[in-house]
Amino acid sequence: MTGVGAVFYRDYRQRMTNVGFVFWDLFVPLSYLVLFGLGFERMLGQAMTVEGQDFSYTGFLVPGVLGMVTFSVAMNTAWGFFMDKDSGIFYELLTYPITRTQLLIGKISFNVLLAVIGSSLSIILGALVLGTPVRWDLLPLTLAIVILATAGWFFLFSAFAIKLDRMDAFNTVTSASYILLMFFSSMFYPLGNLPAWFRVAAYLNPMTWQVDLLRFSLLGIGSPKTLILEAVALALFTTLCLVLAVRALNRAA
Amino acid sequence: MPNAIQVADVKKFYRAGSDAVRALDGVSFEVPQGRIYGLLGPNGAGKSTLVKILSTITTPTSGKASVMGFDVEREPLLSRQQMTVVLQQTATENLLTVGDNLLIYAYLHGVKKQTAEDRMKKLAEEFELTALLRDTVQELSLGTKRRIQVAKIFMLDAPVIILDEATTGMDPLMKRRVMDRLRAEARNGRTILLTTQVLSEAEELCESIMILDRGRSMASGTLHELRKLSTQTFRVNLTFAETSDELVRRLQALEPEKLEVNGNQVEMVFHGEEAALLGRLADISRDTPILQFEVRGPTLEEIFIALMKETR
Repeated sequence: MTGVGAVFYRDYRQRMTNVGFVFWDLFVPLSYLVLFGLGFERMLGQAMTVEGQDFSYTGFLVPGVLGMVTFSVAMNTAWGFFMDKDSGIFYELLTYPITRTQLLIGKISFNVLLAVIGSSLSIILGALVLGTPVRWDLLPLTLAIVILATAGWFFLFSAFAIKLDRMDAFNTVTSASYILLMFFSSMFYPLGNLPAWFRVAAYLNPMTWQVDLLRFSLLGIGSPKTLILEAVALALFTTLCLVLAVRALNRAA
Repeated sequence: MPNAIQVADVKKFYRAGSDAVRALDGVSFEVPQGRIYGLLGPNGAGKSTLVKILSTITTPTSGKASVMGFDVEREPLLSRQQMTVVLQQTATENLLTVGDNLLIYAYLHGVKKQTAEDRMKKLAEEFELTALLRDTVQELSLGTKRRIQVAKIFMLDAPVIILDEATTGMDPLMKRRVMDRLRAEARNGRTILLTTQVLSEAEELCESIMILDRGRSMASGTLHELRKLSTQTFRVNLTFAETSDELVRRLQALEPEKLEVNGNQVEMVFHGEEAALLGRLADISRDTPILQFEVRGPTLEEIFIALMKETR
């Protein structure tokens, strides 16, 4: 078994000891899609027009829900470092013959699989039950974005989880991130009608890059120029966060 | 025989708040392959920092350290491939079963599935874990967790074993079994570096010892060499015809490092000139006859205490 494979297996065994946790990761975004999506759709009372195309609010929300899936899975996986610290295994892991990068990639691999399953469920629910017009031909691109973004968020939160000694401090960081990154992005609403300062903040937010890319791959909307920039920015964000997380592991002692 | 572990002038300084801490201040030693080497010292001596450097958890501020010829700072992955480490803190995968703990540890060190399963069965028997293999570790006692942690190192055949106070919390029988197993591993060519505060354990197990205090090496060598370093410390065993409060007061006046009276037997540890002491004991024997008299070299504990007193 390779180093990454062994860490993957370890995380799989650990996650399977708490199926409720897995259920939470997979089904909370779905309930968001159904409850939040339908509620707002009824409140708005009409279709939304984005770049000349009409969408129901639920259809517009599907890419945002995929963003939520990646975010939740990444956050919960990074939180696992606190379990490792509590059980004392954290420092022992650093003595194993695997690189810090292999450890991080192995840890996220199983959870990326969860994010892909969660995203697939959201897409299927959106398309088959809620009538969202999904671009099935771009499904591989959608899943690639899900994988890249889950890894990026995981590396970012891992850097915090490794550096912070207290779990409550980590929970504060993730709760604040949850609110700020989701609401200062294109996850719930189109940015076009929002104030300029809001749009500037939103376009600096990796969640916006991710959701815009997903909106293109799922619904076919978005400006090519902006999307290319956002794709490059998301890749750079993931790479930078990996470097930060590896650095945090190297300085963990 | 080539050295399995080499440490040359290793220093480790760090900041704790506004204070600069010298965790290690120029420590050097070598451990030839197949030897058991002990690092002794009180809390805060720098033993665990040294283990963290050798196991690549942290890097030295200056100096060089290598494991099986691989520099721990420049070739950390290759160094880690040469060793198995038990850290001071109890480290188990609490949510997993005992079996998974052993297997996953082996997989993470590149051991093949079938080999890992075979070794797990043998070790489970040896460490009395067979009945617990399917139990979740978080339900087990601290002593059992420690047993699992130590059993893990025998899942591997890495040439170097590093143990940081590994037998803490183990029952005496299991401790004895682990010590026997470590001796057998050393006979088979594996190199063992252990840190301990249990001096009898080091005395029994280690072929060479370094005594650390406040980040510095105070003494090192074989137990025989350490005894020679501390020639002014000696142990005196006396058997009197009878003991009394007056006798004990007279013995206390000799200012022994340690005095134990058990019936008519007295055990004392002295630090000083042997000849002068023997003269004063002869005075005492005129009033209270000494039936038996024995002078021996110091135990490791006595050397340790004497060295601590000299430096503090």
